[in-house]
Amino acid sequence: MLRETIGEGVSEQAPMLDLQEIQATVLRQRPAPYFGTHVVLRVDEAQAGREFLRRLTPHIASSANWWNGANTWLSVAISYAGLQALGVPQDSLQSFPEAFRVGMAARARQLRDEGVNDPKNWQKPFGTGQIHIGVQAFSDSEEKRRRALAVAREQYEGFSGVSVLAIQDFGAQPGDRNSLGYKDGIDQPAVEGSGVEPPPGYGRPIKAGEFILGYPGEVGVPLPMPQPDILGRNGTFVGLRKYQSRVGAFNRFLHASGSTDEEREWVAAKLVGRWRSGAPLTLAPDKDDPALGADPRRNNDFNYANDPHGRQVPLGCHIRRMNPRDTQLTRLSDNNIHRLIRRGATYGAPYDPNALSEKDDEVPRGAIFLFISAKAMATMEFLQQEWINDGDFIGVGNERDPIIGRQEEGAFFTIPKEPVRRRIRGLETFNVLRGGEYFFMPSISALKWLGDLDG
Amino acid sequence: MATQTATANRPKQSLTVEEKIQKVRELYADAPGIGKAALEKGLPQLKEELAAPPSLQTAGRIGLRQGKVSELCVFLPFVPGGAKRLRDLLQLLDGNFRAADAVGTVHDMRFVFVDNDMKLLFATAYDGDFDAYIEDFASKIPNAMDLWLCNFEGYPGMRNPAAAADWIASHQIAAEAWYVNSPNLTAPETRRLEKVGKAVEELLDKIG
Repeated sequence: MLRETIGEGVSEQAPMLDLQEIQATVLRQRPAPYFGTHVVLRVDEAQAGREFLRRLTPHIASSANWWNGANTWLSVAISYAGLQALGVPQDSLQSFPEAFRVGMAARARQLRDEGVNDPKNWQKPFGTGQIHIGVQAFSDSEEKRRRALAVAREQYEGFSGVSVLAIQDFGAQPGDRNSLGYKDGIDQPAVEGSGVEPPPGYGRPIKAGEFILGYPGEVGVPLPMPQPDILGRNGTFVGLRKYQSRVGAFNRFLHASGSTDEEREWVAAKLVGRWRSGAPLTLAPDKDDPALGADPRRNNDFNYANDPHGRQVPLGCHIRRMNPRDTQLTRLSDNNIHRLIRRGATYGAPYDPNALSEKDDEVPRGAIFLFISAKAMATMEFLQQEWINDGDFIGVGNERDPIIGRQEEGAFFTIPKEPVRRRIRGLETFNVLRGGEYFFMPSISALKWLGDLDG
Repeated sequence: MATQTATANRPKQSLTVEEKIQKVRELYADAPGIGKAALEKGLPQLKEELAAPPSLQTAGRIGLRQGKVSELCVFLPFVPGGAKRLRDLLQLLDGNFRAADAVGTVHDMRFVFVDNDMKLLFATAYDGDFDAYIEDFASKIPNAMDLWLCNFEGYPGMRNPAAAADWIASHQIAAEAWYVNSPNLTAPETRRLEKVGKAVEELLDKIG
């Protein structure tokens, strides 16, 4: 196996991150339990949009003391159409990456957002080009969420030129489960220089430039940064993808694959690589261990050194795809350059294990998947093409991610076993994409710069 | 650096088979006699091909893809002395490309020196989209890439993967047509099937 190091001319020292400048959402984990809201706004008049930003910016939290700071905060992110609507100069607009400029809907081919996930099936206002600004409130209580939201509302209400297009609440389900009944949000990349030691099993910290603009990335050089410097530096990109969970289809599939609750839970664990409690199959191969699932210092502390063929954790399961750790891949890949900071959130009705009908598929519930990276667009396209909607990279042919992949007729999932593998059929698209957009999450100084634009 | 747009973005033809045949007849009205005769004799087979659904896609920003396999063809201008350096290096390597093995997406590569050693025609078949793994190359095999690409004008170095990808795309000429015998067989899948085939033969040997 050919291996090379990056060689000379690369900074070995972790840069001290400018935490006062970086928005809190980039580094701060959501509280548990959590309560949140996304407000989607359209800027109808540049002057009004800038006035709104000027008023909002003092209320936007930075990452200073992110590990023990407040547990209620506001963040703001702006789409390309939003930057245009705010009157950002043309040469600056052109300095943003192409995938960001054209927006998520226009990149459907590269994102493999086809069939049921095609942008023509998206909910309004997704894909209309009218989503300009997203404001997010995160909190650990309903009451504090309401107060944070009221602060945001004061800044956009009462003057014309900024319209609210949508308000979406999200929040913890009982037991901190997602809409398919799994504990999620485990396993985030650790950011180098952010000041906190990651828990066991999170891998070495990844160069800050992968997640925040203006710092060296894994390859050694900073990524191209939007100009001018004050606009790009300490900013990052945020992708939003809203999924509808087809809980009825998922349960029907489990029932077709297992005749007892025990068998069904085994299949459910194999699809993800963790039991519903969050306990990883590597550490709890035979039965669930809820105490392990709940322990953040143990529930991610494993690798696949003793499981190269996937007999514990199937090669094609969700967590092995999204973070292959030390799995030998068929293609030359550097896992550390395909990571995302995830700020996903669950919305709608809780998971219901007894929901089996097609009507249950349409009960509003699912995930608002927020992902953060200095190259969020390229990373999501890579993941959608290679790690989610294909299986070649990890040796499972045409199989796709059983949880977030878009399945085609006749899809199956292979569970390696001795003496012979078991192949379960009838996989459907269990999470259907209902919309998405890319945003730029500017630094605090960049927000001020945007608010003070002329013209 | 400006990049070319893929010719694969040409408008999709929506002609009927009869219209297509009419078009071919017009094209061959002034063709050499051999061609005219071939058209008349070969019409039944040609008809089948013209009636088949389109099978080409783009390979991302540039190039063609059929199924999972994409084509890349670049004409790269040598720096002074670059042609000799690369030719001698390739001869010493004698057909061994460990980096290409490691990459895992590469089906084949050909290195053709053209224009009196002014340019290299490099052509390859690979799996997936153009931009997908450029940064992985930069992280994992920058030296293997720089060693041969340093011989060309304007190459920015693999440690700047975005610029390197733009540079390659700027020299790429998208194929007008692209045929792949097994369009859904990727390089790793081919190797996997080789192993499976061997195991099956061994099993049959034991039984038989």
